[in-house]
Amino acid sequence: MMHARVLYQMVRADFLERVRRTSFLLALGFSLFLAYAVYTGEVALQLDDYRGVANSAWLGSVIGLVASVWVSLIGFYVVKNAVERDRQTRVGQVLASTPLSRPFYTLGKALSNFVVLGAMVLVLVLAAVVIQVFGGGSRGLDLFNLLTPILLFGLSAVALSAALAVLFETVPGLRGGIGNVVYFFVWMALILLGVPQALPKAQAPYWAPVLDYTGIGTLMGQMQRQLHAMDPLYKGGSSFTVGGLNPPTKTFLWNGLEWNTATLLGRAAPVVASLLLALLAAFFFDRFDPARGRLRGATKAGKSKIRVADALPSNGAAHVAIASAAQLTALAKSEGRNRLPALIAAEVRLMVKGKRLWWYVIAAGLWVGCAASPLGIARAGVLPFAWIWPLLLWSAMGTREVQCLTGSLVFSAARAVPRQLIASYVAGVMVAAATGGGIAVRMLAATDFAGLAAWSGAVLFIPALALALGVWSGSGKAFEALYTAWWYVGPLHHIRGVDFMGTTAGSSTAAGYAAAALLLVCVAYAGRKYRLALA
Amino acid sequence: MGCRNFSEGAAYLPSESPRGRPQVQLSIRDVTKQYRRGVVALRNFNLELRPGVLGLLGPNGAGKTTLMSILATITRATGGQVLWNGADIAREPDALRRVLGYLPQDFGVYPNLNAVEFLEYLAAVKGLDAATARRRIEELLELVNLTDARKRPLGGFSGGMRQRVGIAQALLNDPELLIVDEPTAGLDPEERVRFRNLLSDLSGERIVILSTHIVSDVEATATDIALIAKGELVAHASPEQLVAQVEGSVWEWVVPSAEINAARQQYLISSTTRRGDGVHVRVLSRMPPRGAVQAVATLEDAYLYCLRQLRQPLGAEAAV
Repeated sequence: MMHARVLYQMVRADFLERVRRTSFLLALGFSLFLAYAVYTGEVALQLDDYRGVANSAWLGSVIGLVASVWVSLIGFYVVKNAVERDRQTRVGQVLASTPLSRPFYTLGKALSNFVVLGAMVLVLVLAAVVIQVFGGGSRGLDLFNLLTPILLFGLSAVALSAALAVLFETVPGLRGGIGNVVYFFVWMALILLGVPQALPKAQAPYWAPVLDYTGIGTLMGQMQRQLHAMDPLYKGGSSFTVGGLNPPTKTFLWNGLEWNTATLLGRAAPVVASLLLALLAAFFFDRFDPARGRLRGATKAGKSKIRVADALPSNGAAHVAIASAAQLTALAKSEGRNRLPALIAAEVRLMVKGKRLWWYVIAAGLWVGCAASPLGIARAGVLPFAWIWPLLLWSAMGTREVQCLTGSLVFSAARAVPRQLIASYVAGVMVAAATGGGIAVRMLAATDFAGLAAWSGAVLFIPALALALGVWSGSGKAFEALYTAWWYVGPLHHIRGVDFMGTTAGSSTAAGYAAAALLLVCVAYAGRKYRLALA
Repeated sequence: MGCRNFSEGAAYLPSESPRGRPQVQLSIRDVTKQYRRGVVALRNFNLELRPGVLGLLGPNGAGKTTLMSILATITRATGGQVLWNGADIAREPDALRRVLGYLPQDFGVYPNLNAVEFLEYLAAVKGLDAATARRRIEELLELVNLTDARKRPLGGFSGGMRQRVGIAQALLNDPELLIVDEPTAGLDPEERVRFRNLLSDLSGERIVILSTHIVSDVEATATDIALIAKGELVAHASPEQLVAQVEGSVWEWVVPSAEINAARQQYLISSTTRRGDGVHVRVLSRMPPRGAVQAVATLEDAYLYCLRQLRQPLGAEAAV
């Protein structure tokens, strides 16, 4: 009973702390946007030329997939700060001094994450009812078939995301930006794990739905089996996409998922897995002990601290009088001097400082790969990796002053907002130009000026995107998540229009991305002014 | 007798610069700051400052940090104006920012940079040329006793060492207005003495505003004091003028341990020290307790007296 009360209070406090932040409203707004996208057909479930008749079962299934696929992706980034916030606010140190056990703490955090993500799913539930009642749907309101897919798919999938967020926060290597990138691929792998269930001919074992964490395979599998039965010409294709595909020309009547034991087990599996992951997180959780956390970094810092302390004079009294302000050289006033180059150099140093040697070695290797490979291979195969490598350098842009609490030092200087923003942006551009420079050399040698223009567009665009997202969100997570997904969809698959790197001839519009870069820098400037005005 | 505001006399303010340079002046006129949820942090705050060290004293939540943030152009007042040499800092913040040194109460550092690199970065932000910045940084690191640690990553610094880096950055541009918010927090006693000396040295031709609730820091350095409570200016006076208010009303009294709580109920006690013969208490009272002897008044006595007067005027027995 006591444990339940403690858990309740933990979750309640954490939840209240989050719901009173603007970011929570943004998260709910994102859910509403997803529901709206379903309503307008931007997010669509299609089976070759078929879509379902717009009844409650079909709408519930589509929104259920939205909840389990998209909320579980974005939601991870929304809630992946529960432990970090306790660390930053020092509340963690207070908690660590109580009898609270590590499994209890990580379980509480996972539950709190789940409640937040559950609120996002709840918004989808309400939106589904509104769409079905007022959105011109047919065949009336069937609450069971409308809500069960959303609740069972959505809540079970976000439970896993909630627990994974805690696990990622406690595993030292996954806490920061690397974890944000890794999660995208984990999420994709988990979805792919479930997709074989959708193949009608796959002789999936009875327990196979257990691996289908989003439910996408289970749902599509049942729909495909129904279509195969009613239309021999149906080829077995299915897609759940954002925009893009040819609009479906045929409809079929979908009466809802068949809830058998295997399907229910499939929904229970992510919940059980999330409990186990939350407990696993306790194993890695450092209980806010700086000596245990951050492993190598902490050890290094600890050693450095001892050396620093040793280096300092111990006979303090003698040193009190060593220096006085009278010895300071008076400075000539330098009003009106801009000294932007010095600031740019300082920003570049700030960006790259602290990276280990192997980071530079790999960056150099990718540069050489770009410069030495045949142009087509270098452009399509090496450049995307050369420009994913500095992701964490860019994702710190615009956020450093918030994350390191240096804003009041930096922005109390004259003309600091425009100068520092420009310097930071130029530093980001220089990093992009340097890391992807190998390909530019090749293009110049081959007089491929169109390719060079596309390259330049990307050089301008990437840091502008990072800066704008960093300034507005105050964190690198938004850029890390968006850039990774965009990089995967666009440059890695060379999709025309979204391939901002121009990995194939004509796949990027340089002028468009350069214009977008300009716009994003202006957005970043406006964001900086807005945030400072809020102070 | 209430806590008096002596600011209209302003006799303690230096009238002209020793070197004959135009004297800097900071005018805070009817400044109000109301936050979004209706909390008023400052209300019609007025203060005229010329070179010297102003000790800004007040209890937690008095509005000191809000005032500092407004003066440092970090946040804007919702009413009134602040003039730096006649220019409104809300309209022309850069006029002040060029000559401003600011040490906030809470600030961070970039953990991967060392002290020199961090200061070089901020020097660039402040527009110092590279050669001047290098020379200045060397001097400042010597001044704050960090020369030996200059190449260590800031991430490995202790709280006190970071605070000294903060002090150094505030002095990078040879500021004419130096604002330091709780600057001695985290410093050991030796460094605290060192910093107090530094503030005294600095105060010649510039305005130094020192916000703290450590009265001894103010006592050691301030040429004048502003007492602030509940967002309002309670008193603005020289330390001598403030202390004079309680002169002759401070008593040292030895009380048996068992009676200390009763004494607290009856008198305003500014400090207690346990010794072999009982508890030595400093009492603020017009009439001396039985057996008490008169003591020399301190700034701490005056500070407590002013705050007490604001909260709840002393009763007839205990009133000064």
